[in-house]
Amino acid sequence: MQGQIPFGVADYFWEEALQRQELTANLLATFRRWGYGDVIPPAFEYADSLSAQASAGLQAEMYRFLDRDGKTLALRPEFTTPVARLVGTRLHDWPMPQRFGYAGSVFRYVDPQAGRQREFWQAGVEMFGAAAPDADAEVLALTVEAMTVAGLRDFRIVLGQIRYFSGLLAALQLTPDQSDALRWAIERKSEPALADFLRETPLSSEQRLAVEALPGLSGGDIPRVIAQAQRHSLNSEMSQALENLRAIVDAAASHDILGSIVLDLTEIRSLGYYTGISFEALAPESGFSIGSGGRYDDLVAHFGPAQPAVGVALGVDRLLLARQRQAGQSASIQPARLDALVLTGNSPAAMKEVQSWRAQGYRLQVEVNGRNLSEALAYAAQTDVGQVLAWEGTQFVAYRAAADGDFVPSRGEISFDD
Amino acid sequence: MINDATLPLPSDGIAQKQAGETESEAVEARPPILFALPKGRLADVSLELLERCGLSVPTDMNSRKLVLPNRDGSIGFVMAKPWDVPTLVEYGAADVGICGLDVLRESGRQVHEPLRLPFGYCNLSVAGPKDRPDTPLRYASQPRIATKYPRLAAEFFRKRGVNAEVIGLSGSVELGPVLGLADLIVDIVETGSTLRANGLVEIRTVLEVQAVLIVNRAAYQLKSREIQGIIERVRAVI
Repeated sequence: MQGQIPFGVADYFWEEALQRQELTANLLATFRRWGYGDVIPPAFEYADSLSAQASAGLQAEMYRFLDRDGKTLALRPEFTTPVARLVGTRLHDWPMPQRFGYAGSVFRYVDPQAGRQREFWQAGVEMFGAAAPDADAEVLALTVEAMTVAGLRDFRIVLGQIRYFSGLLAALQLTPDQSDALRWAIERKSEPALADFLRETPLSSEQRLAVEALPGLSGGDIPRVIAQAQRHSLNSEMSQALENLRAIVDAAASHDILGSIVLDLTEIRSLGYYTGISFEALAPESGFSIGSGGRYDDLVAHFGPAQPAVGVALGVDRLLLARQRQAGQSASIQPARLDALVLTGNSPAAMKEVQSWRAQGYRLQVEVNGRNLSEALAYAAQTDVGQVLAWEGTQFVAYRAAADGDFVPSRGEISFDD
Repeated sequence: MINDATLPLPSDGIAQKQAGETESEAVEARPPILFALPKGRLADVSLELLERCGLSVPTDMNSRKLVLPNRDGSIGFVMAKPWDVPTLVEYGAADVGICGLDVLRESGRQVHEPLRLPFGYCNLSVAGPKDRPDTPLRYASQPRIATKYPRLAAEFFRKRGVNAEVIGLSGSVELGPVLGLADLIVDIVETGSTLRANGLVEIRTVLEVQAVLIVNRAAYQLKSREIQGIIERVRAVI
């Protein structure tokens, strides 16, 4: 066992770790610019808290273990529930709305797949105490901004409103089996399964038309989709869902993000958790969704006074993968980038200069293994460092790698440009 | 960001390359749509179906190239092991694919499955020795099941409250009962002749199987115009 690591986790180092840290730092900085405060929930907490509204699937994926006093703990499988717990229990009397942004790793017992190990990284935001469409639109716009900041050029947000479908289910008054059959057909976009459902379920002609219209309720032509859905609205829940969606789309228009949004009222995978809009972020280079979010007005009430809430979580690993593919790169395994390797000869004056370059942001490694100049040049060549600075009494002499790989001394001003 | 309903089509690339290409050419631009077809049992019928709905299929199916573009380069076809088709499509390595429902359900892959196709009909069935067909199913506390479909077999028995011992094999499953390895088998039954030859009879149907058209979830949204075009063409001829 010694030296092995368990299935589903990974060591990130050098360039790969750097890109990951830089991406999460950029995303957090973006969230802060939009007024979202930082939050770092614990890596593990009581399993009951984390299960508050988790689907059966997510519950089965949680890593659980016993605390010394016999209570069941679990590693966080996502951030939304811990942040909702924080707001519900400790910040419920702080003025609303409250905005939080986070980034970190989460843990799920799943079969590793593209860009998702058993420990994987998420970055996201949650907004509490705002039920208005403007809040939903802001989260959508921030999702678009985050995808752009992450370096993705091509992507789409597929937006649904779960209440349209839940309203339809209520109007149809189905048995649990029938509603499972309808859900399954819609989730898998299966025409024959939908035909089977329609054949086997007694419905009024109005209800039948509403079900038959479902598969057509998607696309980039947002007004058309909403108008078509409106024609088949069977009750006030369905109408309100569309009204809400229309208001959110209007608010999103002011953020100038409608070009990235595709409507899909059959996007119902998180029925039972989301209570309003739900959405997924997709990019053509990734077969899996890169992020997902929506409105979840029922979660905070598990921990304190009820609060409307809306948020999004992006998969950092999938963002990195999609960005890499859009840039046409393969995974890069390079040592940490250095501007120079420095031989100071333990001169205080040399060290002082090194410190001033470091203060300017240059990356300098000081030789500590007693290498002489030719050994240092060989080491620099091996580790892909382009410049070696050697202290010669009163000043540094720079040895820069030429095109043929040999290091040539260049007198005069030291520069760190490539 | 994309503002059009579909992605820009790299219309150059494949079509232009064909003139001087060699079979050793390894890296090529990915066609806008990649279509995974199953080798083996479903290969000929799948190709015939695509031919009928006017999706031009490359004629040179024996080429050793892995991705075969159609005439205008808008669709690339890849012939894959049937068991790999759901995986290729779930990961988005292929946008669209054809496979059997048995393979799709056993794989558990999350894909859209808009259409079922009128071929590849058969049953995934439980079969047992013909002298005492369903005795093990009814009375054995822990019947041993030989199968190429461990996931579907385990689920079938679990749902009926039977704690079966599922023995995964990769072929000639009928040998299980013959050699005393298993009490029952779960396998594809087309005509039943293989079963009869081995003294087995069909006892229960686990799944009615036919071919199915599957689509990657992201491609379904991001390449909706092309994907819907394919679905419509296929729907028109089935």
